[in-house]
Amino acid sequence: MKKRNLFVLCIVLLMLATVPVVFANGVSETPAVAQKATTLTIGVGQEAVGLDPHIVTAFSSMRRLDLLYSRLVRLDENMKVVPDLAESWEIPNNLTYIFHLKKGVKFHNGREMVAEDVKYSLERVLDPTTASPGRSYISSIKDIEVIDEYTIKLVLSAPLASLLDALTSNNISIVPKEAVEANGNLQRVAVGTGPYMLKEWVVDNSMTLVRNPNYFEKDLPATDTIIFRVIPEEASLYAGVKSGNLDLATINDGATIRQAKNDKNVVVMSKPGMNVRVFSFNNEKKPFDDVRVRQAVALALDRSEILTMAEYGMGQTTGPIPISAKEWAIAPEDLAFGKPDYAKAKQLLAEAGYPNGFSFDIVCSSTYEGGLAVAQVAQSQLKNIGLTANLDVVEWGNYIDRWVKRDFSAMIELRGGSSEPDRFLFRSLHSTGGVNNFMFKDAETDALLELGRAQTVPSERKATYDKLQQVLTEKAPLIFLYSPNENQVLSPHVQGFKQIGNGSLYYVTHAQVIK
Amino acid sequence: MKTPRLLRNGIAVAGLVLILLYVFISVISFFWLPFDPLAMDAKQILQSPSFSTGHVFGTDEFGRDILSRIMKGTSVSFIISISATSLGAVIGIFMGVWAGYLGGKADNIIMRFADILFSFPSLLLAIFIMAILGEHTYNVVLAIGIVYIPQFARISRGAIIALKGNEFIRAAKSNGAGRSYILVHHLLPNITAPLIVQISLSLSTAILLESALSFLGLGVQPPNPSWGNMLSSARKVMMFAPWTAVYPGLAIVLLVLGFNLLGDGLRDMLDPRLRNVR
Amino acid sequence: MGKYIFKRLLSLIPVLIGVSLIVFFLVRMIPGSALQMYMGTQVEATPEQMEELKRLFGEDKPIPILYIEWVGNLLHGDFGYSLRTGRPVLPDILNRLPISLELTLYSLILALLIGIPLGVLSSLHQNTFGDFLNRVVGLIGLSLPQFWLAALMVIAFSNSSGWIPMGNYISFFEAPLKNLKMFFLPSLAIGFGFAAVVMRYTRNSMLEVLQMDYIRTAKAKGLRYRNVIIIHALKNAILPVITVTGFNAGYLLGGSIVIEEVFALPGMGRLALYAINQRDYPVIQAIVLVIATLFVVVNLVTDLIYALADPRIRLIEEKR
Repeated sequence: MKKRNLFVLCIVLLMLATVPVVFANGVSETPAVAQKATTLTIGVGQEAVGLDPHIVTAFSSMRRLDLLYSRLVRLDENMKVVPDLAESWEIPNNLTYIFHLKKGVKFHNGREMVAEDVKYSLERVLDPTTASPGRSYISSIKDIEVIDEYTIKLVLSAPLASLLDALTSNNISIVPKEAVEANGNLQRVAVGTGPYMLKEWVVDNSMTLVRNPNYFEKDLPATDTIIFRVIPEEASLYAGVKSGNLDLATINDGATIRQAKNDKNVVVMSKPGMNVRVFSFNNEKKPFDDVRVRQAVALALDRSEILTMAEYGMGQTTGPIPISAKEWAIAPEDLAFGKPDYAKAKQLLAEAGYPNGFSFDIVCSSTYEGGLAVAQVAQSQLKNIGLTANLDVVEWGNYIDRWVKRDFSAMIELRGGSSEPDRFLFRSLHSTGGVNNFMFKDAETDALLELGRAQTVPSERKATYDKLQQVLTEKAPLIFLYSPNENQVLSPHVQGFKQIGNGSLYYVTHAQVIK
Repeated sequence: MKTPRLLRNGIAVAGLVLILLYVFISVISFFWLPFDPLAMDAKQILQSPSFSTGHVFGTDEFGRDILSRIMKGTSVSFIISISATSLGAVIGIFMGVWAGYLGGKADNIIMRFADILFSFPSLLLAIFIMAILGEHTYNVVLAIGIVYIPQFARISRGAIIALKGNEFIRAAKSNGAGRSYILVHHLLPNITAPLIVQISLSLSTAILLESALSFLGLGVQPPNPSWGNMLSSARKVMMFAPWTAVYPGLAIVLLVLGFNLLGDGLRDMLDPRLRNVR
Repeated sequence: MGKYIFKRLLSLIPVLIGVSLIVFFLVRMIPGSALQMYMGTQVEATPEQMEELKRLFGEDKPIPILYIEWVGNLLHGDFGYSLRTGRPVLPDILNRLPISLELTLYSLILALLIGIPLGVLSSLHQNTFGDFLNRVVGLIGLSLPQFWLAALMVIAFSNSSGWIPMGNYISFFEAPLKNLKMFFLPSLAIGFGFAAVVMRYTRNSMLEVLQMDYIRTAKAKGLRYRNVIIIHALKNAILPVITVTGFNAGYLLGGSIVIEEVFALPGMGRLALYAINQRDYPVIQAIVLVIATLFVVVNLVTDLIYALADPRIRLIEEKR
C-alpha cells in the first residue's frame, strides 16, 4: 500500500514540476527558427461590414479594401492622383478620358485584368440595381468604350473636374465579372488585384490576408501576412501596440493619442486629415433661417479652443475646404466671421430680433462622429453671447434618424471631405446635393458649384473656389470648425508605412516589421 | 430602554450609516457645491487631485471639478433608484399577489407576462427599452422599473401561495370574509418580510443598472453628471488620469454597498431560521 | 413527474410566441433603421437606388406581413440574413454562443470555488469577526460595478500578455492553458459579485441544517462525528446553491454583455449590443429568441432539480 502511494506521489510531483515550465514565457509560439513568413498585425476598432467594394459604405470595410483591391488611379502620400491600374491617361477634351492599363495584372483568381473588366466594374457601379454609393461620384459618365485589351475610353455627359479624384475611391475598384456572378455579390469573398488576398475571416475576431504573389508592383507587398484584429476599446488598442500584440493601430481618440505621444515605446504618426468637424444648422428652421443669427454663432465659436478641448489640439482649424487640401484651402482666419467677436455677435443677434438671446437644442451623439465633446465646448462658448444651447444627446442610430429626417435645429457632424473640392462641396451644399441636410438653397452657391465642377483650367477653377469659400462663410449655412488628424500608433519596429491623410491603409503594402 | 433590534445588527447599521451619509451629501448638493459641475476650464484639463487648486478629486477632460459632479450625481442616483424600484415594486407586487391569490388560469396568464419579461437578462432588456424610448432620465426609471416587475411578482406570488394554506386564512374564509378583506388584512402584512429585503436589494441594483446604462451611453446624458456616464468618459483617459475613474467608481461602490449591507442585515433579522446556532 | 415536465415544456410555446411578437414589433419602434445607418450621412442615392435598397433591407412591405414571412421562415429553420453583413444569422449566433456560455460557465465555477468554502467557514463560525468580515467582503463584491472592475483590470494587465483577450479568442480545445488564462480576468469580473450570493446561500443553508436537533447532539458526541455531520450539512446545502445559480443565470448572462465589450471577447452579448446599435433586426430577433429559449430551459431544469429534491414543492407544483 505504502509503496503504491509513494509511486503515485512521485508521478504527481513530476507533473507539477512541468507546470512552471509551461507557464513560463506565457505559453508563446514555437521557438524561433529563422522566420519563414513575416506578419504584421493591425488593430482596428470596428469589424468590416462586408467586402464588396461597390456596395460598402462603412469606413471599417474600406480599410480592408485598401489592401484587397485596386482602382484605376490612387492617391499617394501627398494626396496626389497617381497611377494604380492605369499606367497613363489622356484627356483630349474635357468630356473624354482615355486610360492605358498596365499589362499582366492578375486577379486573385489568376486571370489577367483587361479593359473589359474596367468597363464591367464601372457599369456595375453605375447600375441603379447595385445601389452603389460610388455611383454619384461618376454619374456624369455617359459612355464606356473598350478600345483594345488595355485601353478604355470614358465619355462624359458634362465636364467633371473631379473625375480623376473620384476614380481613386474604394467604391470604384476594379472587380472580375465571374466572381460577382458566382457569388451574387462580393461581400464575403475577395477577388481583386490588390497586394493581398483574403485567406480567412473570423467575424468580430480577426481577418487574415496573405501576399498576392502576382501583385503588379515590383517587390511588393513587403510583408507576407496581414492580420486585422477587432478591438473596440481604444485604450486596449494602444495597450496592444505597447505590448507588442499589435504592430499598428488606428486610434481616433485624442486622449489616448496624447498619452501615446509621450510614450517612448510606441511611434505616433499624426497627419491632418480630410474629415471636417462642422456645426450644422437647419437653415429652414427658426431662428437659424436668419443669416445674421448664423453669423452670430460663427462669431461665438472659438475654433482653437474647441480643437484643444475636444481633440487635445490634434488637428487644424479649417474653412469650407479641408485645410490639408493645400492647393485650394483658405484658412478660416482669412475668411469672414473667422475670428471670435462677442460684441459683433450680440449686435447681429439684436439686429435679427434676439437682443436677449434664445435657447435651442444641439443634436449630437456620444460616438466619435457624433461630436459630444465638441457640443459640450460649443455649449459653454455660446453662453458668452447669451445663447443657451441644450444638448440633445442621442444614440447613434437615433442620430442618423434625426439627420435623415432633418429633424434638428443645430447638429454637430463629422463630414468626410476630399482634397478635390467638388466631390465634397457639391453634394453637401448644392440645392440638389444628396447630403445637403442643411436645407440650404442658394442661387449664388449653386452657380459657383456648377461652374467649378466643369472648369478645367486650374487658375480659373481656383478663382471660382476662392469665391465660393468667401460666399460660404458669409452665408454660413454651417460652420466649418476643424479637421482632426489621422492618427496611427505603431510599434517602433514597423518601417515603411506612410499616411495618406484620408485614413487609407494602402501603404501597409510597403510596411514591414524589422526586429 | 432596550435597543431596537435593527440597531443591534451591526451589518444593517453600517449600511444605514452609509446611506444616510449619501442622503446628507445629496441634500447639501442642492445648496452648495465646491464648483459648478458644468463649468469647463481649458486650463485645468485632467488635473490630478490637490488641495491647492481646490479640486480635491481632480478634474475631468473638460476641466470640470470631479467632486462637484459626484455630489450632483448623488441626487440623480437616489431619484432614479427609488423611483424605479417603486415602479417595479408596485406593479410587480400587484401582479404577483393577484396571481398567487387567484390561482388557476388567472395565475397562469399573469405569470406568463412576467415570464416573458423575465426571459431577458436585465441589462439587455433595459438596453432594449432605452433604445426604443430614447435616452432621457425618466426613461431610465421606466426601463429599470419594468426590469424589476417579474422579480417582485415572483416573490409576492410565492409568499402568497405559501400563506394561502395557513390556518388563519381558512378560518377567516369560513367566517365569511371577502377576498379583498383577506388580502389586505391577512396576506399583505405577512409578505412584507421578503419584500423589504428585495426592495433594499433592488435599490442597490438599480444604481448599478443605471450606471451600466450610462456607461453604454444609454442612460443619463452628459453634460449632466451621473456616476455611470462619468465612468464612461473616464474610460479613455483612465490610463493616465486614474482619478477620473476611481472616485466615481468608489461613489457607486459605497452607496450600493450601503444598500446591500442594509438588505443583508434585514434578511438576517427577518429570517427566523437563521437564529444563532451556537 | 413526466406530465409536469411536459406541461412546463408546453408553456415554452406561448412564451416564445409572446417574445417573438414583442421583439419584432418593438424593435422596429426604435428610431433609425439599418438602411439609414448603411447610408450614413455621406452617401447619395437616386430614387431607383433607394427602391432597391429598401427591398434589400426589408423595408418595402408592411410590418405584419414581414412578421408572417419571418415566422414562416423560422419554422423552416431559416433565421434570415443580417442586414448589415448579409451573412446568415443563425450560424453566426451559434458560433458566438459557446463563447458567452464559456464565460458564464467559468464565472460560475469561480464563484462557486470562492463562495462555497467561504460560506461554509462563515456558517461554522457564525457571528465571529471572521464571519462578519466575510460577509462584508462578499457584499463589497456585489457592489462593484462590473464594467469598472473590468476597465481597471484592462489597465492593470494591459502590459502583460495573455491575460487580456485582446480580440483574440482561443478555444479550450486548442490551447487549454491560454484559454483559461484569457478567461480568468473576465470571469473574475463577473464571478466576484456572484460569489457573494453563493456565499450567503451556502452560509444560510448550512446554518439551517446545522441547527437541527440531531446536529446539536452530534456536537456533544465529539469532533469526528461532528465532521461527518458537517459534510452531511454541506451536501444538503448544495441544493439551494444550485437553484440560486439557476435562477441567477440571467444575471450572469447579462453581465457577460458589458464584460465582452470591455475585454473584446467575440461573444453573443456583444453581438446583441451591436445588433441593437445597428438596427440589425434579423439578428436582434434571433438572439432574443435564443436567449429566451435558453432561459426558459434553464429555469425549467432548475425548477426540476428543486422539485426533485424537495418533495413538498413537487406536490404543490403537481397539484396546480
